[in-house]
Amino acid sequence: MSTIAETASRGQTRRRMRVDGWRWAGRIFLVFMLLYTALPMIWMLITSIKSGFAATQFPPQWWPDEPTLASYQKLLDPQNSVGQDFLRFFWNSLFVSTVTTILSVIVAVPAAYAFSRFSFPGRNFLFFAVLLRNMFPAVIFLVPLFILMRVLGLMNTHGSLILTYLTFGLPLAIWLLKGFYDNIPVQLEQAARIDGATRFQAFIMIVMPLSTPGIIATAIYSFIGAWNEYIYAYTFLSKNDQLTLPVGIQRFFSENTTDFPGLMAASFMMSVPVVVLFLILQRYFVRALTEGAVKH
Amino acid sequence: MAHVVLKDLVKTYGGFKAVNDVSLTVNDGEFVALVGPSGCGKTTTLNLVAGLVPITSGDIVIGDRVVNDLDPKDRDIAMVFQNYALYPQKSVYKNLAFPLQMRKLPRDEIDKKVKEAARVLDMTHLLERKPRELSGGQQQRVALGRALVRDPAVFLMDEPLSNLDAKLRVQMRSELKRFHQDLKATIIYVTHDQLEAVTMADRMAVMNGGYLQQYDSPAQVFAHPVNMFVASFIGSPAMSLIPLEASAANGDTVLTSAEGWSLKLSRLNARKVQRATTKKVVLGARHSTIKLHKSEVSSAIPAKAFTVEPTGDVTFVQAFLSGAIVNISVSPNIAVAPDEQIWLEFDQERMHLFDGETEMALKAD
Repeated sequence: MSTIAETASRGQTRRRMRVDGWRWAGRIFLVFMLLYTALPMIWMLITSIKSGFAATQFPPQWWPDEPTLASYQKLLDPQNSVGQDFLRFFWNSLFVSTVTTILSVIVAVPAAYAFSRFSFPGRNFLFFAVLLRNMFPAVIFLVPLFILMRVLGLMNTHGSLILTYLTFGLPLAIWLLKGFYDNIPVQLEQAARIDGATRFQAFIMIVMPLSTPGIIATAIYSFIGAWNEYIYAYTFLSKNDQLTLPVGIQRFFSENTTDFPGLMAASFMMSVPVVVLFLILQRYFVRALTEGAVKH
Repeated sequence: MAHVVLKDLVKTYGGFKAVNDVSLTVNDGEFVALVGPSGCGKTTTLNLVAGLVPITSGDIVIGDRVVNDLDPKDRDIAMVFQNYALYPQKSVYKNLAFPLQMRKLPRDEIDKKVKEAARVLDMTHLLERKPRELSGGQQQRVALGRALVRDPAVFLMDEPLSNLDAKLRVQMRSELKRFHQDLKATIIYVTHDQLEAVTMADRMAVMNGGYLQQYDSPAQVFAHPVNMFVASFIGSPAMSLIPLEASAANGDTVLTSAEGWSLKLSRLNARKVQRATTKKVVLGARHSTIKLHKSEVSSAIPAKAFTVEPTGDVTFVQAFLSGAIVNISVSPNIAVAPDEQIWLEFDQERMHLFDGETEMALKAD
């Protein structure tokens, strides 16, 4: 009797130890991942408040002896040429990304809803075609799109970038949103239509509010994609006053010297809008809005 | 309130006929249950009436209007869904107010009607809650409230009780019945549970494979099922159906089993069998119409008890006859053991006879 109990309890201890082992391995892995992602950003921040000389010293100054915000002042000062350029690039990026985001939501919402709710000829084929785009690396389309933009007379315009970002962003946006609509019970719309709403009203008044998290996720995804894109912006734009930030930041590299604190300050400011966007909108990701709608 | 007429209603999906020439009339103030196994077309029929699914052919009349091409919102109907379909982002009050707002009623009138509905359904204290903060039974009440707040011509209900637990289901069943009696409402009620249909409906439409099988009062459907499907679907435990062979012997008509025994038919039953075009006859008998004897009796058929299920007030005995399962209910005082030899006596007045080929009930005239 006692031996059985002993064996059982020993088995239990061993199982608990194994679980603990895995848990610790998981924690160590997470800490490693955290350092891996956070350290470069911390180093970016530290470098951005150094002087040009301190930034290139070796061994490095772990914390600058004389922290300075000079780089930021220079970038944000509309009086000097660096500041003018940076602010213009920033504005260009903001414009291109915002228009891309708005357009992609406007197109993706009805498209995803149609894929989710209606059956029409060619539905599966079209949906597959939408996803097919995502199976090729973006750079494959560089030359064809370049030729296309030239034919359309869109070279050196922000329109060329917005169109391109839409073709890349929309497939995933539609796919993402379709998943959200699939999870909204169709009976909610049916109930609304019986309660006196038209099909369109049911969509606007019932489905849209419920799909807010999906729309926000899609918007953030489109915005980040457009905000960070480099290759196409580099290829399609050649005039200085049209460049977007990822391309414009290159100005800090020159043949002889690189202004590392300036580069890091610009990089930091470039990541601010994305982080702010996330902080404001993140609560929408976690809220399960349809909870309580239907009984399963 | 209004009457509803379905005329030669057909719905096909591609080549698949989900609803096949269904015609029936629901009188003003009548409670009609559409009942059948899953996939029989009952929910599709309800969705056709609601206008959620376009009809392929046929006519739907609500009140005195043909509503074939009208939007759901213009049909003057209310619907209760199986999963309740409450608007999750709206409070109970706003859920109830929504159909009234959509009809552009003045705000004070909406307020009055919502509060009246809440009072009737005893949920005034829940008005500010969100659906997710309610229990299943309360959610079900809100769904019902949203339907009745508008005073529609017809109530459509799609298995409204099937997500409740057994106890609550029985309670809501009697509340719904009371609600129908008080409001004199026209109700079309879809269920797969024949017990719900039998207990609540004025008339029941039994469907199978997209076809309307029988449309009559529960008592009539129970006593005179038109075919073997209806006979076995309505009633619990199911009616026993025993395949037999008809023959004539010494001027009498008898049903013979492949097992060797035979059953002499009464004059009325004999006439039914004689009018049949086939020798294959299926004998149908409900559990309560079969008498179980523990010793040999003339005209009783020998069988062996297979399982014995006591339920308290009644004990169900299962036996095999001619390869078919036969359910018999006996008083709990009668002790029967599995594998015990028993004799079964069929009540000739209350037995059912079916054509073994067409599966239709045999008629005497």
